[in-house]
Amino acid sequence: MNGAASQTRPTRNYAAFDAELTHQALNMRLFLRLMRWTKPYRITLVSSALLIVVSVGLGALMPVFQYRVVVDEILVPNPASDSLPSFYLTTILHAVQDALEVAPLTAAAVMFIAMFVTQTVIGLAQQLLLTSGALKTLRDLRIDLFASLERKPASFYDHVAVGRVMTRVTNDIENLFELLVGFIGRAGVVVQFFVVAVIMFALSVHLTTIGLAMIPVAAVATYYFRKVMRQAFRRIRDSVSALNQYMQEDLIGMEVVQISGREAMNSGQYRGLNQANRDHEYYAINYEVVFETFNMSLATIATVCVLWFGGGLVVQEAISLGVMLTFTQYINMMVMPIESMGRFFNVLFRSMASGERIFQALDWDERLHEPAAPATLPARLQGEVAFRHTHFAYPGGEPVLKDVSFRIAPGEKLAIVGPTGSGKSTIVRLLARFYDFDDGMIFLDGVDVNRIASRDLRRRVGVVLQDFHIFSGTVSENISLNNPDITADRVHWAARVVNADPFIRDLPNGYDTELAERGHNLSQGQQQLLAFARVLASDPEILVLDEATSSIDTGTELVIQDALHKLTEGRTSIIIAHRLQTIQECDRVLVLHRGVVQELGTHDELIARRGIYYTLHELQFQDSRVAAELTGDVDGDRAPAQPGWVDRDSEDESGFERDAVDGRQFG
Amino acid sequence: MPVVAAAAPFRTGVVRERSSVKHLAHLRRLYPYVQRYAMVLGLAIAGLLLTRLAFNIIPQLMKIAIDSLADANIPANYAAPALGILAIVVVQSGIYIVTRRALRRVSIAVTYDLRKRLFNHIQYQGPTFFNRFDTGDLMSRAVNDVRMVRMAVSFGWVQIATVVFSLTTSLSFMIYMSPSLTLWVVLPLPFVALTGFLMARGMYPYFRDRQESLAAVTSFTQENLNGIRTIAAMAQEDHEIERFRRASTVYAQKFYRATRYQQFMDVAMGTLTTIAPLIILFHGGAMVLAGELSIGTWSAFSAYLMMLTGAVTQIGWALSMFVAAAAGTERIFEVLDCEPEVVDAPRAEMGHVDGRLEFRNFTYRHPGAPRSTITGVDIDVQAGDTVALLGRVGAGKSTILKAAVRLLDTPPGTVFLDGRDVCDLPLGRLREVVTMVPQDPFLFSATLRENLTYDDPDRGDDAIWNAVDAAGLGGTVRQDLADGLGTVVGERGITLSGGQKQRATLARGLIRNAAVLLLDDCFSSVDTETEENILRGLQRLRGGKSTLLISHRVSTARHADRIYVIDNGRVLESGSHSELLAKNGYYAELEAVQSNQERDRSRKSALLRNLQAGEEPLAVAEGGA
Repeated sequence: MNGAASQTRPTRNYAAFDAELTHQALNMRLFLRLMRWTKPYRITLVSSALLIVVSVGLGALMPVFQYRVVVDEILVPNPASDSLPSFYLTTILHAVQDALEVAPLTAAAVMFIAMFVTQTVIGLAQQLLLTSGALKTLRDLRIDLFASLERKPASFYDHVAVGRVMTRVTNDIENLFELLVGFIGRAGVVVQFFVVAVIMFALSVHLTTIGLAMIPVAAVATYYFRKVMRQAFRRIRDSVSALNQYMQEDLIGMEVVQISGREAMNSGQYRGLNQANRDHEYYAINYEVVFETFNMSLATIATVCVLWFGGGLVVQEAISLGVMLTFTQYINMMVMPIESMGRFFNVLFRSMASGERIFQALDWDERLHEPAAPATLPARLQGEVAFRHTHFAYPGGEPVLKDVSFRIAPGEKLAIVGPTGSGKSTIVRLLARFYDFDDGMIFLDGVDVNRIASRDLRRRVGVVLQDFHIFSGTVSENISLNNPDITADRVHWAARVVNADPFIRDLPNGYDTELAERGHNLSQGQQQLLAFARVLASDPEILVLDEATSSIDTGTELVIQDALHKLTEGRTSIIIAHRLQTIQECDRVLVLHRGVVQELGTHDELIARRGIYYTLHELQFQDSRVAAELTGDVDGDRAPAQPGWVDRDSEDESGFERDAVDGRQFG
Repeated sequence: MPVVAAAAPFRTGVVRERSSVKHLAHLRRLYPYVQRYAMVLGLAIAGLLLTRLAFNIIPQLMKIAIDSLADANIPANYAAPALGILAIVVVQSGIYIVTRRALRRVSIAVTYDLRKRLFNHIQYQGPTFFNRFDTGDLMSRAVNDVRMVRMAVSFGWVQIATVVFSLTTSLSFMIYMSPSLTLWVVLPLPFVALTGFLMARGMYPYFRDRQESLAAVTSFTQENLNGIRTIAAMAQEDHEIERFRRASTVYAQKFYRATRYQQFMDVAMGTLTTIAPLIILFHGGAMVLAGELSIGTWSAFSAYLMMLTGAVTQIGWALSMFVAAAAGTERIFEVLDCEPEVVDAPRAEMGHVDGRLEFRNFTYRHPGAPRSTITGVDIDVQAGDTVALLGRVGAGKSTILKAAVRLLDTPPGTVFLDGRDVCDLPLGRLREVVTMVPQDPFLFSATLRENLTYDDPDRGDDAIWNAVDAAGLGGTVRQDLADGLGTVVGERGITLSGGQKQRATLARGLIRNAAVLLLDDCFSSVDTETEENILRGLQRLRGGKSTLLISHRVSTARHADRIYVIDNGRVLESGSHSELLAKNGYYAELEAVQSNQERDRSRKSALLRNLQAGEEPLAVAEGGA
């Protein structure tokens, strides 16, 4: 009856996100799109591109000056060369000579210095502008990408592994840097190519033809080399990643490796992967070395051609000696861009794929439905929560909640109990608006939560998830979550209230102790207390708590119960309870079974009804009696106070266990 | 992190020196790796030098041709030099291909050797090591640092050798042509070298800052996305984005600074190296005009100078690469220098094992921890007995188990197997006869079969199924897993539930049929009923063999021949189930508590099963009560 809810939402193809994007085609749209991020730095980048033209032009004129001008006009004066162009350099030389009243050679030296200094300064400015512009562009793109990932809803991360999106923020952006810097740098090479070609044509059409004849040879060789190498490089990349994956897993499972005595065998397997990688590398260098040599020799062979044909032309006095010498320099400048372009095409293809991955993540329009005109909530909510005929199914899955309706008065504490898969956690997720739902309504102080901006809502609804995620950073930072609004005093206060203060002070640096990401230095109970402190510090009006199922020793348990009591004091609370003690803390109990509200009422009412809850209560009663019996054994301050070196706590699935975590398990 | 241990998990940043030159000394350590290829390297370098020499002849041939073209009195002679140059190019290319290939192969081989050694070395490390280097750190050393070293091996020092040679040959030719002009041209070269050296020396901090700020961006992203649910729940996205903005901006700044430094270095070098061509142009030109120098020599000087300039610039480049490689080498050898704290006694004899495991006055303090985790514990597991350790979380139970298989540095003279100190036994054999099933149910990304036969992939189906059934995993494998034992599990496979993973790791331990089995809280995610079944199966499977297990449940412990209650690193009480009950201590109290719980739990699970089946719960509950 409520499949409708899921049908209205599009079923997404998350596999697309995992697909390998190795586009070999040039995608100009992608490039243009990237250009949008350059907007604030356009002046910087355009000036850099203009400067590159000037710098390259000056560079191209250097050989003309050195040979055509200095040799032909000064060192080996040859009247026949007067008719050859010198691109105003001779004129300038004469002007300098006249102005300074010096010998022609001195004037040439002055010009040489001037040209060099100009070229160097411009080149430096161009490089710095380019780097700065490209870095800032990509910084902005990276931040935008991160922000977009940060705001993707829970359903996205249910399906897409963090690693998949991680590389987009790191490697793919780095690749684009190569693209941006390479693109403008390559523009310089192209400009140089044309400038050189024009100068060459002006000097000698005949010799230029020889130079141009080299180009197809170089181009074809470059093309085939790149084609072979693309395959070879892919194999190398794959073998490297296999190598690294193996090592990483071995490191994570090191304890098992050592217990199983697999050290030698794993070394052997790693050696196999290592060998495969080595062999691919060996294969690749065979081609690389040949191509490298070819490129190196090509320029020299071109010089041979210039000497062979140019020599004849000099003898015939068709060209001057200076022109021939100029050509020996230019032939290099002609051939070099080919190889350089070839290399750039590799960068281009790789960054196209990177760009595609980045934009795919940016374009992934999975987001929570946010109200167009969000309702403004009062500074402090009363804390009334009401579910009205709420249905929900995870995308493509079976209905999880069916016609759930209940109301919680301000300040009331509601316990939700029910077996695995009954939909308890889903209630939490909907209330915190981790998911969109469109069948039924949830009200907060009479305001439809769909009309509240999700960020505003989450500030009012404090959620304590079952798993306490520790971020690397100090204890203080883990409590405040780096929220600048939460002062150190507030952190200490929150920790004191939830009984976390004693064990924090016992840590080597107290509140400033650095915690490792995986939190091996904190026990389960300590993590739970920190989770309480974290939510208390942000002081939400409504508390939603998914009680951890972990079995914690009885002493710690009492400390946690006490903390929970203080935390929920005077605060509307919804607690997915696994312990009878916790349930008894609450004003009313809601029994959820297979997504349906089976019973709702106070403890006494439900007991009197002798339904599901009565049975559960009868069964669990002993737990609390036990706890009470052990009270004498427990010292509230001491119990959790064994920081560091503790055995890891265990998970207890024997009781009510956590709901299926995500939609995948329903699909 | 593997080998959970707990001491000093707190971050301690390694402060590195800010000097490039001191780091270069680390490169010495690569010597043994390069040494074995000494022959190849020697020949290759000789070949490379030959190509350099050939390359230096080309300007001489050009000189002959140019002089003949410039002077009308000399007959034009350009065809023969052209053919000569062509011949040189052909020969040179041949040699170059062979030698370059050899050199690159050496660098690949050195990479291979380093990786192999690194991986192998890490396999035998203990908890102190893994506390110092976490997985990400080790990975970055094995990936990035090895790559840097490879660059230095393949290009760096060979480059320097050829460059030096090139310098000398070019200079020789220049001196031969005109000593006075050479003197002038060489004048700025020492400054070029000095500047290059000083610049390269100052580059290291920039380079390192850039890498570190990139690492900061990467780890921030990873951690943030892993905790995205928490951040979303606390509505902290904006703050996090702001923090990311700061990290990215720092990275962009550091990157820019490193590039700027590099650019200044290039400009300085470029300017210095242009002084020489200027001298040739000006002074050499004057000499040509004065008739002291032919135009061919003049242009040959320019050609040689280009080679010189290229060579000197490459020295700077090679130096900067060396700096990076030196830092990488340092980081690699930081790992390789860590001797495994657990010292093996590989040659010790070890015959049949009865399976008596004793802890005598066993005391252990985790490295860096302020106090002992375990103090003066005496535990005796007689051959064939089952002994249980019971106690609070953090009491030190896991430490005791790990000490038996020397997953930590067990002090000598404290743990004995069949009366022999475990420290005197070969590690491999010890872990074979004393098998531990760790608390963390970790499975590799491989098939279930590969995971279960992890210690010995040749195990047959019978052994596997016996273990699977004994661990209570038979039903799951046969019914729930589509590919049965061939199902890929772990990070890149299907996700098993906590209980399934735990039973799989249990099966992985059981399959080894060891004389002593250590179970570190292996039933925590398994319900009591299944646990009972498994324990019964274990008794059948392991008749006459010793078992030492950790549990939080009295129901598990009560079957043991002897029970030790561990509290605060000491034995609080010990004895059989009935003895301990009679003592009326901690155990008795726990028993009272838990036996009720257990009864409840079994009723509750029966109820839950019925709830799940959608039946009327009350009837069952009443009936079961």
